[in-house]
Amino acid sequence: MTDKKSNDLEDLGKLPGFKRGNPTYFENEVIDHLISITLELGAELWVVKDRLAHVEEILSEENEISLSSLRTGKPSDLLQEQLDKERKEIIKRIYGRLYSKYGGETVDEKSAI
Amino acid sequence: MATNEAFYKRGKTAGVFPSLSSRRDEAYMNFIEDARNLLLHAQQKPIGEYSKLLLNNAGKSMEPDPSSTMEAVELLMKDNVLKTYYRIKRTLQESFWECTYNSLNMRKNDLLQALDDAEKIGPGSVTYDPSFSIPEYATSEIHIQPGGNANEPLSGLLYDYGSKVFMGGAADNDMFADMQASTVGVPKNNKVNRILDLGCSAGVTSSALKRIYPDAEVWGIDVSSHMVRYAHARAIEQNYDINFKQMLAEELNFDNNHFDIVVANLLFHEVPVSVSKKILSETLRVLRPGGSFTLIDFPGDKTRDVYTMFFGEMDAADNGEPFLPGFVRSNVEEIMEEVGFEMSPYDPSKFILAGRIGFKPNN
Ligand SMILES: C[S@@+](CC[C@H](N)C(=O)[O-])C[C@H]1O[C@@H](n2cnc3c(N)ncnc32)[C@H](O)[C@@H]1O
Repeated sequence: MTDKKSNDLEDLGKLPGFKRGNPTYFENEVIDHLISITLELGAELWVVKDRLAHVEEILSEENEISLSSLRTGKPSDLLQEQLDKERKEIIKRIYGRLYSKYGGETVDEKSAI
Repeated sequence: MATNEAFYKRGKTAGVFPSLSSRRDEAYMNFIEDARNLLLHAQQKPIGEYSKLLLNNAGKSMEPDPSSTMEAVELLMKDNVLKTYYRIKRTLQESFWECTYNSLNMRKNDLLQALDDAEKIGPGSVTYDPSFSIPEYATSEIHIQPGGNANEPLSGLLYDYGSKVFMGGAADNDMFADMQASTVGVPKNNKVNRILDLGCSAGVTSSALKRIYPDAEVWGIDVSSHMVRYAHARAIEQNYDINFKQMLAEELNFDNNHFDIVVANLLFHEVPVSVSKKILSETLRVLRPGGSFTLIDFPGDKTRDVYTMFFGEMDAADNGEPFLPGFVRSNVEEIMEEVGFEMSPYDPSKFILAGRIGFKPNN
């Protein structure tokens, strides 16, 4: 049905992602790490911004705050909506430039489908 | 339902997914999901055009030519923008599993207890065998999900929340499964008493089918006991009467001519081609004459160009899909015909929103 070569799974093994653990895509693995580090920093920064916004919301409404409401509570729908918007803007602004070579920094959000 | 309280302790996310253990983890995953949408999914069109330009400049033809996919990989992966794209994809995938895994494991005992409790109640049922022998191919860490589908007791929950983030919101409220289920082939004479969902994972497609055919008896089977356990708990929460059972799709424990509809949603690219053929024969056996089989999965290589093949190949590697390239190259609609299905026209341009539909002949 198909030729032997194109069925050969060995080819797949040569792709960077197929190596378990820590695949590298750049000749210099430091670049791989730097990209991962910036993404991780972005995510952790977002976690702090989200937490701060949640703290502010609770304080402005109840004047009293508990650790458990921060850990396991959820912000109001209105705040969640604002956060969703801000998060997308931050991601676009910080990381979009990586794709500016072909105009990818201007694209609108899209799901997998 | 009281038994499911452990899953939904913090309520639901996007209508159906059990919320993660803490607000912190949710915020982290929100970031990952948006980053995937903005830095990966939204880039597919412009990055595709850019890649095609690179292929064109190098004098490579775009004609479907699967054997030259590796040449395209070599050429395109010299480009720093493309390396960046794939690096980001991999990092985000690793981060989302790490976060989901750690978050759910914080409550591991409670969650496992809730799965045990759910087994004892209905609607519907769950059956599995702790000594079930799992074929080796089914133990790989597909999607690089920690422990894979078969070897991690929380794999159902991991898979479910993972699919929320992976689909970038398209799976929210079980929307995506509903869209897919609406394309499932209607059997000849329209009679639908029994439905079988092969490789059901969290049971999302089984439930979507139950919404379309509320009076039908629905079965979801999966090689992983952890998946069917979670699928049952998820179905109870939605109050669906569905039977989940640990079973191999290539060794169906059902009578001949038993089902009116069989569905396999994204199962076939996760098994070796030799197993696919057995699954197809078994499916034909358990279908009644005139019954429909819908196989929803990626299009085959005959309908793809070099860039799409490159993209698929990279995806297979970065997403830990060992059997995807073999599946794509097998053009499974041809195997379905060889096995004896009467095929309906198939539109590969609809990607995974349309299946290959075959009927069991009437003789
Ligand atoms: C991508 S998931 C399917 C998603 C699911 N059908 C849905 O619509 O949400 C593939 C599933 O197939 C299961 N699987 C793999 N090989 C199998 C086999 N031979 N028989 C039954 N299930 C299998 C895996 O455990 C996994 O849960």
